[in-house]
Amino acid sequence: MGQKEPGPESMFEAWMKSTTELWDMMTKPWTGETVSPEKSSPKEETPKNRATNSANSVLRMCQSAASLMNTPETRDSLLQGMNTLPEIFLKMGRSGLERSFQLHQQWMESAGRIGRRTEAYSFENLDQGIFNAWTEIYEAEFSKFLNVPQLGLTRSYQERMGRLLDRFNLYQGAMAHFLSVLYLPVEKSIKVMQDEIEALTEEKRLPDNSQEYYRMWIKILEGHYMTLFKSSQYTEVLKKALDAMEDFMMARRDVLEDLIQTLPVPTQKDMDDVYKELYLLKKKVRQLEKTPQRKGRQA
Amino acid sequence: MTQQRIPVDLILKRLSEDADRAQARAQKAPDVLLGPLDTGIATTPYDVVYEEDRVKLKHYRPIPTDDRILSTNLADIFGEKVKPNTPLLVVYALINRETMLDLQPGRSVVHSFLNSGIDVYMADWGYPTRKDRYLTIDDHVNGYMDDMVEVIRQRHGIPKINLMGICMGGTFCVIYSALHSEKIKNLITTVTPTNFDTDQGLLNIWMKDIDVDRMVKTYGNMPGDLMNFGFLLLNPARLMIDKYVGFSEHMDDKAFVENFIRMEKWIFDSPDVPGETFRQFVKDCYQKNLLIQNKMVVGGEKVDLKKITMPLLNFYGKYDHLVPPAACELLTSRVGSKDTEDICLDTGHIGIYVSSKCQKEFAPKIAAWLKERDTHSGERYDREK
Repeated sequence: MGQKEPGPESMFEAWMKSTTELWDMMTKPWTGETVSPEKSSPKEETPKNRATNSANSVLRMCQSAASLMNTPETRDSLLQGMNTLPEIFLKMGRSGLERSFQLHQQWMESAGRIGRRTEAYSFENLDQGIFNAWTEIYEAEFSKFLNVPQLGLTRSYQERMGRLLDRFNLYQGAMAHFLSVLYLPVEKSIKVMQDEIEALTEEKRLPDNSQEYYRMWIKILEGHYMTLFKSSQYTEVLKKALDAMEDFMMARRDVLEDLIQTLPVPTQKDMDDVYKELYLLKKKVRQLEKTPQRKGRQA
Repeated sequence: MTQQRIPVDLILKRLSEDADRAQARAQKAPDVLLGPLDTGIATTPYDVVYEEDRVKLKHYRPIPTDDRILSTNLADIFGEKVKPNTPLLVVYALINRETMLDLQPGRSVVHSFLNSGIDVYMADWGYPTRKDRYLTIDDHVNGYMDDMVEVIRQRHGIPKINLMGICMGGTFCVIYSALHSEKIKNLITTVTPTNFDTDQGLLNIWMKDIDVDRMVKTYGNMPGDLMNFGFLLLNPARLMIDKYVGFSEHMDDKAFVENFIRMEKWIFDSPDVPGETFRQFVKDCYQKNLLIQNKMVVGGEKVDLKKITMPLLNFYGKYDHLVPPAACELLTSRVGSKDTEDICLDTGHIGIYVSSKCQKEFAPKIAAWLKERDTHSGERYDREK
């Protein structure tokens, strides 16, 4: 009656106590005696070699740390830190959830558009929101982790590796976008074909030859591609895809050159320097060869 | 109101007939595809008379006079065995290979020229490697082309030769003729882009926005495969779907299969384009359109089209989606020559050279045109000129 229930502080205390006793027990087989600060004098030197000395000092450190953590102040600050962990996880989860809700919204909107009649030969309102959303989310939330400044001796190699991964992801997004745009005329041509067949059915002019249907479809498809290729949206997507591919290739080349440098193999950059010198030398030789001929003509 | 009748029974009947035909084709196709096929291209014999780096100058062996098959037009026009005396140097583009001009017997521009008695030389640009990435338009025009022209002049002891260019090779010929007009007797351009400020062609639209500096920095040379993919994208419905559907419908026809494979061999034989040449061509031509404005600089010298004073014959295709008529037709009005002629054929970019209909118009017309202008002035080749 009236007994207080054990709280986190008392559980923590009990855990620290048992940890201290554990370190105590572990040191006994090494030294034959305990290194507990309450039980031994710091002046006593019982270890017989360097290995045992090192093991002794490590165990003493662990013992001191365990004792320090047992103090009420340290215990309180640790518990406070642990209390904030759920909040951190909650914040990260909330941010991720919000972003995924945005994506779902985009998907639901585009799903709602499926089944509506499409305008033939029209590419003004391309449904590319998903790809733009993915790119925005990636650039806002994930890209920064791959571009964080690196530290240490190998920092430049790490940065190039991070850049490679970042460019690869952007390249995947841009190519997916480009391929989806390339597929749009196929989708539209199938829908237009359906409308054409309906119209022919009403007019009682439905062909009975499968070749006719194929020719109709290929002509519609060709027309859609011609319209798409002249649109500014296509040239924009094409440019982005090419830029992303080139960025990725350059980043990949940088990483490969880092690897090749460890081998006795010239890199592409080395060879380009040689080719440039060769080219300039040959050009000079040609000019010099032609000079006596010109001088002869002038004489 | 009576229900509309969809002839499902007829459709199914036709489908089963088509299936039967397809099955018969599929049974015969292995005999054709696995049997001996004559798919060689560029079989007209030639000798390599000059080589420089990757570039070769080919000289086609003339057909003996008695063996020539004269075209009716030429015999009617001239009433004798024609023989233009001035040799003709043909310069193809850096994209794809010049073998298209000698695709197969019966569809060979080279053979038609030889039959007309023309002495034919052809520039073979070879396969650029990474070490060629720094070569510019100046190196190709004032370097390789000038050297080839010199070789031909020396071999024949003549001061001037005839020059014919195809597509980008035609652009090079126009530049060369403006810079070295004293060495060219007659100029022929075919499907040659000289005015790039047009939206008729998809390439003109796409090239305006590309970052060519980034591309050259990334690739060095422009990969032939990448350019090929770009050309396929110009009309994917026809070039990636319909073409192969057509092949499947005729794959039991040996002659069709042979022609198809020859064409496939040529179309996917794409050398890389040297990076610096590609950079200048895109920037100065596609993006700034300097050539037709007489503002393009090659080798430190401005290309002035008014200096083209020799006769000019300009072919282009009405349905050419790569080099539309608007890109070709301005040239004759911008050169200094008074003897110019435009000929627009009802065909596309490649049809001019490979369609059997155009074969009867194209090469004989060129031979006749050259013959009319092939005067003998008794001039000797003077090395100092």
